[in-house]
Amino acid sequence: MSDNEQLMELYTQLLVLRHFDEFCYDLKMKDLIMNGFHPYSGQEAVAVGVCSLLREDDVVFSTHRPQGHSIAKGSSTRAVFCEMLGRRGGVSQGIGGPMQWIDKPHNFFCGSIVGSGLPIAAGVALAFKRQARDSVAVCFFGDGASNTGAFHEGMNLAAIWKLPALYICENNQYGEAMPVQEFVPVSRISQRATSYGLNGVSVDGMDVEAVLNATADALEQLRAGQGPVFIEMVTYRFRGHYGGDPEHTYRSREEIAVWRNRDPLTLARTRLLARGYSEETLDDLEASVQAEIEGDMEWALEQPFPTVEQATDHVMIPLGQD
Amino acid sequence: MARMSYRDAIRETTAEELRRDDSVYLIGEDVGRWGNLFGASAGLLEEFGPERICDSPISEAAMTGCAIGSALYGMRPIAEIMYIDFITIAMDQMINHGVKYHQLSNGQVRVPVVFRTQGGVGMRNSSQHSQSLENWFVNVPGLIVVMPSTPADLCGLLRSAVRSDNPVLLIEHKSLYFTRGEVPEGDYTIPFGVADIKRAGEDVTIIATSWMVLQALAAARTLADEGISCEVIDPRTLWPLDKQALIDSVKRTKHCVVVTEAPAEGGWSGEAASVVHEHCFAELRKPVRRVCGMRTGIPYGSDLEKAVVPDASWIGDAVRDVLA
Repeated sequence: MSDNEQLMELYTQLLVLRHFDEFCYDLKMKDLIMNGFHPYSGQEAVAVGVCSLLREDDVVFSTHRPQGHSIAKGSSTRAVFCEMLGRRGGVSQGIGGPMQWIDKPHNFFCGSIVGSGLPIAAGVALAFKRQARDSVAVCFFGDGASNTGAFHEGMNLAAIWKLPALYICENNQYGEAMPVQEFVPVSRISQRATSYGLNGVSVDGMDVEAVLNATADALEQLRAGQGPVFIEMVTYRFRGHYGGDPEHTYRSREEIAVWRNRDPLTLARTRLLARGYSEETLDDLEASVQAEIEGDMEWALEQPFPTVEQATDHVMIPLGQD
Repeated sequence: MARMSYRDAIRETTAEELRRDDSVYLIGEDVGRWGNLFGASAGLLEEFGPERICDSPISEAAMTGCAIGSALYGMRPIAEIMYIDFITIAMDQMINHGVKYHQLSNGQVRVPVVFRTQGGVGMRNSSQHSQSLENWFVNVPGLIVVMPSTPADLCGLLRSAVRSDNPVLLIEHKSLYFTRGEVPEGDYTIPFGVADIKRAGEDVTIIATSWMVLQALAAARTLADEGISCEVIDPRTLWPLDKQALIDSVKRTKHCVVVTEAPAEGGWSGEAASVVHEHCFAELRKPVRRVCGMRTGIPYGSDLEKAVVPDASWIGDAVRDVLA
């Protein structure tokens, strides 16, 4: 694949994630997404750049803001829409909701307890190491996670046992409403990784090619069995912590505008234009992506809600079948 | 049959499961070099090596999350939390994640992990090393909670736990490790949710768990001298609970005492008493009596720590009271 084709594919995925997220935002405003929706707009380059290099057998653990990671890992937009809407047909059959689902065929997990994925990802990586497989476990988390016990416990374990775990910190500048400078006393969160003997690197998380390059280096080290990698992706969420939060209480319009000038979609689009793609081609692409996502949303809105019987399915494996 | 200690039953059963299935491994603080605080994994490091007898840093969230993650991809970990008091650090990983994944995956993901730990008094270790915390876990949908009281039950239930694809919390008791009993030879398993009548009797049913089973049996011997015939039932698994065994016994004896080392309030003892009240109301001659640990932090020192949890005399008094 040429660089141009690769960037075009990345850009397409960025568009998918952006339009998916914006439709979700509207659904939340209409109360069709009932609660728990955490917008991903602005951070798409991270999910797209990282996941585009993963294999199906690699495992991803994500956060309360999982939709971008899940779709980039292969989940269908229809299934993720359904989960957001609490419909049967969702990745977790509408039982999990917008913050917690499992897409086993795509080896994707997420959960809404901040920082909790790091130890579990270390465990997946331990299984791969014991089984002499070259699959990797990727764990996404935010800046806020870097203050939790599980963050430090999990990273330490992966480091001492040289486990193939890729830790991706999406520093979107806020832990809920609190600015990162107020709760992290070092300038780069990646500095925390160096205390575990890792090469903590910080990357421009708005630039999908920068994310891609850093991830490629990391995967080479991981698949060669050289131990875990930590990457801080410096990024920004364009919308609130959750859909409809009182943003004005913690950040200014001016600040948002500065970051929107570095929109990962605009950066990628500008590069494509410089490489010879026409405005018209890119506009057509965006229109077709948007139409397709809208069709998926409409399909999802037609799906039934789970029944009470389904809501109590699979709490545990019945005794005798376990 | 072989006669052995509870501690040795853990070691032998663990070793047999490690030999039977390469995906089984033990992870925990000092399970390797020390072979566990009580010797429950002594010698296993030499036989199985450090990848399968895995000394973990003092890092319960990491160890527990690691066990869960590895169980998602083909391993069958036994994660040992050295004292149940330390499980607070691991609870997010267990309860918010490990126990939820089967349901969140619509049944596609299985989490075959055993959390082994030990609680209770007996080592003069005071309030952060002596608690009985099983009640918290009985309230978690999807988690099997096991408290074996004898070497044979430990053997059969641990083996079932390792082979189950459900997450299982198996709680040992520090005052049981050096008790001895007959353990069946061979591939002995005990299904979850099956109680055991430890002593048959006619006048009163004593439902007791873990170390309290021994206290109940001691009380029953004393009461027999007074002409009182006690039936002692050990549910063995707190959840799933063998309700029918409790109901059948109380319908016969018409009297019931529930004994736990954990405090009564909000606990499993109330669940057991409630099952009996709901199903045996017509037969009961007196309300169910509970004999439980005092609602206090466990104090230091052997006399005091034993003074705040039930013993045979407390149980004897309660039995006499319900029969009066």
